Amino acid sequence: MALSWQIAKSTATKPPSASMEEAKHRVLDFFREACRALPVLMDTYNLDEVITQSELRSQIAAAFRKHSAVTNPKVVDMLVFKGKEELQDCLDHSKQRHHLISTYVVGTEGQISLKKLGTVDHGESHFLKNFYQSNLF
Amino acid sequence: MAPRCRRYPLPLPRSSTGSGSRRFISSPVDSSVAAGSGVAGAKGSTSKALNSGVAWYAGIRGKLYERKYGSDFYKWGSGASLGGVRHARVASMPAVGAKFDAKPEDCIEVSVDGKDVTVAKGMTVLQACEVAGVDIPRFCYHPRLSIAGNCRMCLVEVEKTPKPVASCAMPALPGMKIKTTTPLVKKAREGVMEFLLINHPLDCPICDQGGECDLQDQSMVYGSDRGRFIEAKRSVTDKNLGPLVKTVMTRCIQCTRCVRFASEIAGVQDLGVLGRGGAEEIGTYVEKLMVSELSGNVIDICPVGALTSKPSAFTVRSWELKSTESVDVSDAIGANIRVDSRGPEVMRVIPRLNEEVNEEWISDKARFAYDGLKRQRLNEPLIRREGQLEPISWPQALKTVAEAALKVNPDEMAAIAGKLSDAESMMALKDFMNRLGCERLWVEGNSEDTVADLRSNYLVNSTIAGLENTDACLLVGTELRIEAPLLNHRLRKAVRNSRAKVGVIGPETELHLKAEHLGNSTDILASIAEGKHPFAQTLSSAKFPTIIVGSGVLQRSDKEAVLAAVQTIAHKANVIREDWNGYNFLLLNAAQAAGLDLGFVPGSRAPVGDKKSIKFLYLLGADDLTPEDIPADAFVVYQGHHGDRSAYRADVILPGVAYTEKEGTYENTEGRTQQTSPAVPTVGDARDDWKIIRALSEIAGVKLPYDTLNGVRARMLAVAPNLFRVDELEPATPLPKESLPETKGKLDSSPFKRAVENFYMTDPISRASKTMAQCTAAYGRS
Repeated sequence: MALSWQIAKSTATKPPSASMEEAKHRVLDFFREACRALPVLMDTYNLDEVITQSELRSQIAAAFRKHSAVTNPKVVDMLVFKGKEELQDCLDHSKQRHHLISTYVVGTEGQISLKKLGTVDHGESHFLKNFYQSNLF
Repeated sequence: MAPRCRRYPLPLPRSSTGSGSRRFISSPVDSSVAAGSGVAGAKGSTSKALNSGVAWYAGIRGKLYERKYGSDFYKWGSGASLGGVRHARVASMPAVGAKFDAKPEDCIEVSVDGKDVTVAKGMTVLQACEVAGVDIPRFCYHPRLSIAGNCRMCLVEVEKTPKPVASCAMPALPGMKIKTTTPLVKKAREGVMEFLLINHPLDCPICDQGGECDLQDQSMVYGSDRGRFIEAKRSVTDKNLGPLVKTVMTRCIQCTRCVRFASEIAGVQDLGVLGRGGAEEIGTYVEKLMVSELSGNVIDICPVGALTSKPSAFTVRSWELKSTESVDVSDAIGANIRVDSRGPEVMRVIPRLNEEVNEEWISDKARFAYDGLKRQRLNEPLIRREGQLEPISWPQALKTVAEAALKVNPDEMAAIAGKLSDAESMMALKDFMNRLGCERLWVEGNSEDTVADLRSNYLVNSTIAGLENTDACLLVGTELRIEAPLLNHRLRKAVRNSRAKVGVIGPETELHLKAEHLGNSTDILASIAEGKHPFAQTLSSAKFPTIIVGSGVLQRSDKEAVLAAVQTIAHKANVIREDWNGYNFLLLNAAQAAGLDLGFVPGSRAPVGDKKSIKFLYLLGADDLTPEDIPADAFVVYQGHHGDRSAYRADVILPGVAYTEKEGTYENTEGRTQQTSPAVPTVGDARDDWKIIRALSEIAGVKLPYDTLNGVRARMLAVAPNLFRVDELEPATPLPKESLPETKGKLDSSPFKRAVENFYMTDPISRASKTMAQCTAAYGRS
């Protein structure tokens, strides 16, 4: 609870970052915050069964890197805010286990990649691969 | 509920999703838009003589109406809508002029609400109003039934008449001034509505007709805004009409549409009116079921909730349903249907208007067998291990089949397409088997050595609608009412309208029409062919003679002799002429015509007859083989959607999809190509049939060169171009007399057998249907 409250406080509206340096600083702070929250999340959502903590950390880092090209401090602030919001939702247990799994474990490809886990490429045609997956193609 | 009557000229243009289909037509007086308005077009009208679909009903046979193809436009435009088939609401149009074709000299001029319109002689006032684009409310009037004039809802004012007249029963006369918007008319409608509602229960919330009820709709628009009833409403005992039609007779408004339908269309005298005045009831006189293959249609024509569907009672509301336009596959007629679904379930099947195929009727099997789609479904690939079927993955299943196929000599393979197969999957299966070197293919219902060389030899050449024009018809080895109820209805029309003479050679069956049973032996056939039998005279003196041969004949050992005898009769009686081809071969199953067009018949090198040599048998939903027909050591692949008869013998089962789940091409018995469209999602891990064969071909190392549905269709275009032209009738070219086949073999004296043992259970879907089982129990063979 304490952690959750802390983040709640930190998501309170702050003045916008004056420069890109300040924005970067906020990003790093938020990343550390997220890393600190990881053990709690692993525990609350029983994520040990599907992912290790370090893997989860690199998934989160990847989510940060996805926006590495952003140069506008306002946009960075916005992204940090949204990230904090997400983290708080996770900590409050406003999400359920499958939300985390589908976002951070399986990734954006969702069910399809889950199915792919078992299929090994035998050099079938595109048609046959689609055929094995579903009737919808 | 908002007023949803679409025959009231609404002041605002109603938005509809299909706005492209709407036709706004300017004033009917403007002759520059003659083609679109109701003004009698002077364009050629006589050429459509053979296609007169509806002309007979108004007693003006000969005055033909222009037929416009397409589901969003109907011949009697708005006219067929309220009382007839319930079409999707989005397809409704604002009231526009109905169209007709007639010669200018057969036309008269009347005025409707101050507008002058030209109508054909013999049209009623109601029809004249429709031509003018004015909608008249009605309950008892139905364009396909005789005129009763008993509901009085269609009252209009005609100048110089003392009282309002019932427009459905009054012929339009030259110079008549019809008024439909006067206070007198409004008051008359209000009064009639009040009378109708005196005894009509207020149970719309629990009535299955709610939301698509003519009485509900019209009372919103034409009724009074307050009631003044204090008396108790009358109640009427419900009648038991069988397992299909549910009755709540208290709701009945005595329009007598069902009575007229039963006696005029279905040809059964089961329904009638009992009592008079306030005690008037519709009933069956004595406790009796309504026995007709077309009985479900009374549900559609009933304007209120008195007759509703028993299997779908209390399950649906019309506004919850998604409608999909499709084609029926339960027989070879290819009736146009609308599949109404809710989520993944088919909730009901109702007819769609197509004047050339089914008009607005469908058979009970087409309408009620849909519950079979939910039972006995195959939803994952199965393999037989130690006598038991076990689930298996798709790759493994396909691998097993491919290995089994490659082990076998091509001469010992065979493939049978079932009754419900679509053209795409038959095309793929034919290509696949041919690539494996196997040519032993046939479609269920065709014999194992059918020849598909002459298209006119296996189609209904007179066309389904054209059969109405016949004046003498010989039925050979067919029980028309059971094999094709809708074709029987067309023949019945011919008998009723032009006193066509019908002779039957074959098993004796009640056809519900005036027919002479000539006997059930080939001797009669031979004596007609020799001209000795009196019916030979009837045929040759007829103007439009027809012969209908049932495909049960194909199962006879002497079929060539029978067909040769029929051909002889056809040529002696001049059945096949330049302008008329009355030689009809009636197919039994939806897959047959397309199969024959695609050449899904044994090739010249294929062994015929001895099924004992088969080592690898591919069944594409084919269930009619008995276990004795399949050798014990054969490897049997069953691809289909139902765990029906043959699935019990299969070594591998590949789950396919049913006709409500796929986009498949079918050709009906007159050679018309039509397509089904998917209404509900596929079940479980099932796959489209052509895809299964395409995937299998790749595993077997004989990859088929198409990956998409359009690819398959392009291949079909190369083999049978007519299968590419959807909704078009491709007539067959009749052969010159000189090419008559040599009579092979002698006529066998054994009687003709029944081709269909039980009308209600003929295919995997209807055999899995509970409703059809109830019908079988209630009606027996019917």
